[in-house]
Amino acid sequence: MAVAETHTPVIVSAETAQCRTAWWLTAPALGLMVLILLVPVVIAGILSFTDYSLGNDTFNWVGAKNYERLFSRSTYEKMFIATFTYVVTVVPLSVGLGLGAALLINSLGRIGDLYKTIFFLPVMATLLAMAIAWEFMLHPSIGMVNHTLKMSCGTILEIIPFLKKGCGDRFPLWLGDRDYAIWVICFIGVWQGFGFNMVLYLAGLTGVHRELYHAAEIDGAKSGWERFRLVTWPALGPTTVFVVTISCIRAFQVFDTIEAFWPQGGGPNKSTYVMMFAIFEKGVQQNLIGIGSAITVLFLVFVMFLTLIQRWLVERKVHY
Amino acid sequence: MKFTTTAMALILSASAAWADDKVTIEFAYPYSHLFDVTYEAMMPAFKEAHPNIDVKFRATYESYEDGTNTILREAVSGNLPDVTMQGLNRQQILVEKGIAKSLEPFIAGEADFEKDGYHDAMLSLSTFSDNVHGLPFSVSLPVGYYNMNVLNAAGIEKMPTTWDEVIAACETMNANGVENPIFWGWNITGNWFMQALMWSQDKAIVENGKVTLDSPEALTALEQMQEIFTKCEMQNLEWKAALSSFSAGEIGMMFWSTSALGAVERSQGDFVLKTGPFPGLGETPKGLPAGGNAAMLTSTSEDPAVQEAAWTFLKYITSGDGAAEVAKTTGYMPPNKAANEIILADFYEQNPNKQTAVDQLPLLRDWLAYPGDNGLAITQVIYDSIERIVTGDATDMKELQEELVEEVNDLLPNS
Repeated sequence: MAVAETHTPVIVSAETAQCRTAWWLTAPALGLMVLILLVPVVIAGILSFTDYSLGNDTFNWVGAKNYERLFSRSTYEKMFIATFTYVVTVVPLSVGLGLGAALLINSLGRIGDLYKTIFFLPVMATLLAMAIAWEFMLHPSIGMVNHTLKMSCGTILEIIPFLKKGCGDRFPLWLGDRDYAIWVICFIGVWQGFGFNMVLYLAGLTGVHRELYHAAEIDGAKSGWERFRLVTWPALGPTTVFVVTISCIRAFQVFDTIEAFWPQGGGPNKSTYVMMFAIFEKGVQQNLIGIGSAITVLFLVFVMFLTLIQRWLVERKVHY
Repeated sequence: MKFTTTAMALILSASAAWADDKVTIEFAYPYSHLFDVTYEAMMPAFKEAHPNIDVKFRATYESYEDGTNTILREAVSGNLPDVTMQGLNRQQILVEKGIAKSLEPFIAGEADFEKDGYHDAMLSLSTFSDNVHGLPFSVSLPVGYYNMNVLNAAGIEKMPTTWDEVIAACETMNANGVENPIFWGWNITGNWFMQALMWSQDKAIVENGKVTLDSPEALTALEQMQEIFTKCEMQNLEWKAALSSFSAGEIGMMFWSTSALGAVERSQGDFVLKTGPFPGLGETPKGLPAGGNAAMLTSTSEDPAVQEAAWTFLKYITSGDGAAEVAKTTGYMPPNKAANEIILADFYEQNPNKQTAVDQLPLLRDWLAYPGDNGLAITQVIYDSIERIVTGDATDMKELQEELVEEVNDLLPNS
């Protein structure tokens, strides 16, 4: 009894000491995380309920007015349309093309490295610099794109309605046309982004065991499609979840091209007024911190939502 | 006054004592495509005249909006430049917030300020509550740029003087196969062309602290724009693309600020370029907004030597040979009598295209600032509305005007 009495407190204090050390060791990381991640988010959250304008000494509490505006003004309706159009277009296309390119390159021998480099080049080049090159190419009268299209005039290609219309009247303005602008941005987004997905998929493909293909073949999966459907695609599950999530977040974050093409206004009729640009315009260009913070908070909610879905999927079913 | 004399005394003694003691001042300006050449041209002479002042150029502002916004942010973070170039319509907010310093103490210390060519009409552009806060550096007015080759080929000999004539010219050009007859600079900074159409009718866009977008004159302006855009079948070009198209000789008429004349001429293709006065609504315009920028002192330095150096620089670039470079390298007019009348005496005769804006000087009116903190946001709202006319999204101008008024009112103080 006496022995037990003297021993128990020693054990507890050893445990608490260990626990305390653990806290001490994680404290720097935790502290930094709170300081540079959580505190700014909380401040943005608080500011989104004010009308604070940078440079002012004071601000007023406006309640949910900023959020109310986000959901009632046509400008923000355009913002949501542009953002979701971009995400819904760019994510499947860049994931699909990335997977396709990875499979093709994987089936090639040494020459695959060349394609790898070519497809990965746009990822390495900064999008802002590329946007300037695109701006020149898409110039309506002296740009390369419309010049190339014009070459088809008078040839058999004119049976394509788009070319026929262009030859008869004029080719699109691309960046100045509200019907085309968002698709141009989507195209550049896919062009720029799929190489990254390709690399991720190539990494994923190295993890697929050869034996699985042999086993599938023995079980009667003869065609390439069957092998893809039964082995490759399921084995790439974790990669796909990661690639889709990363692509989604990157698509939500699109900004450089829009800022380069339309530094003022976010595209013809605000047709490419994506969320990141809206945050930049309100919070940075116009110093309207209140509404800028409200958009930021909404943006964080979207990204958080995506991350949660990813975690849920990863934990549930994509492990084999 | 006393402060200045002390400062002057200090400067004199300082420069006498350490002749090679350098003072560094920081400076930033907008629109590098227009002004890079100007500063390149004027800096060697400045360095020669003031070897002990080292001017450090900061990254240029993309536009006037960007310039003002950068200054507002720098005021919060405490790293303001010593001298900044600000759009004439963006001075007010910096004065109201106490960022731009009054220049009166420095002016009081100048013996022959008038004689240096600064005169009231021009200084008034930068005078707020009877205190001069800036020295105008370059002043511009809207003009018409005409590609005479395109116009003549379409059978037009005379430059239009009213918008109706412009539209008629467009229609003639369209009929004669000109693809791109016109570019009308609606997307120029600070809703300048909206203000130009308002001033043409002798109506200020801001009166007694109220924005007059609900006036019949504003509706007329919107309708006039719609008529030009639709009847001319104007393409929605981004302004830099438009300037390059015009320089390449593809656009017949371009309405823009005279400021771009230097840049356009430098990249001009093989055609005859003429400028003409800004057309009016049925008659000659009754007024036009003064574009351009003014040098403001934003130094937070306690060191009188820095303050004095900043003032010296500010004065140098806005008078004499410094100011004359503005006219030589850009299409802007130096708002300095001495520069205009003495140094540039026969310059305008040799450059009749640059004369057009000078002829319009009697029409010079203020480029107005929107009241309150949200000036930049209001500019954007008006920009967005005009863009809806250009892209054909808005067809009913009355409706557009109502929406515009409502949105702008949201952003005005006490809304």
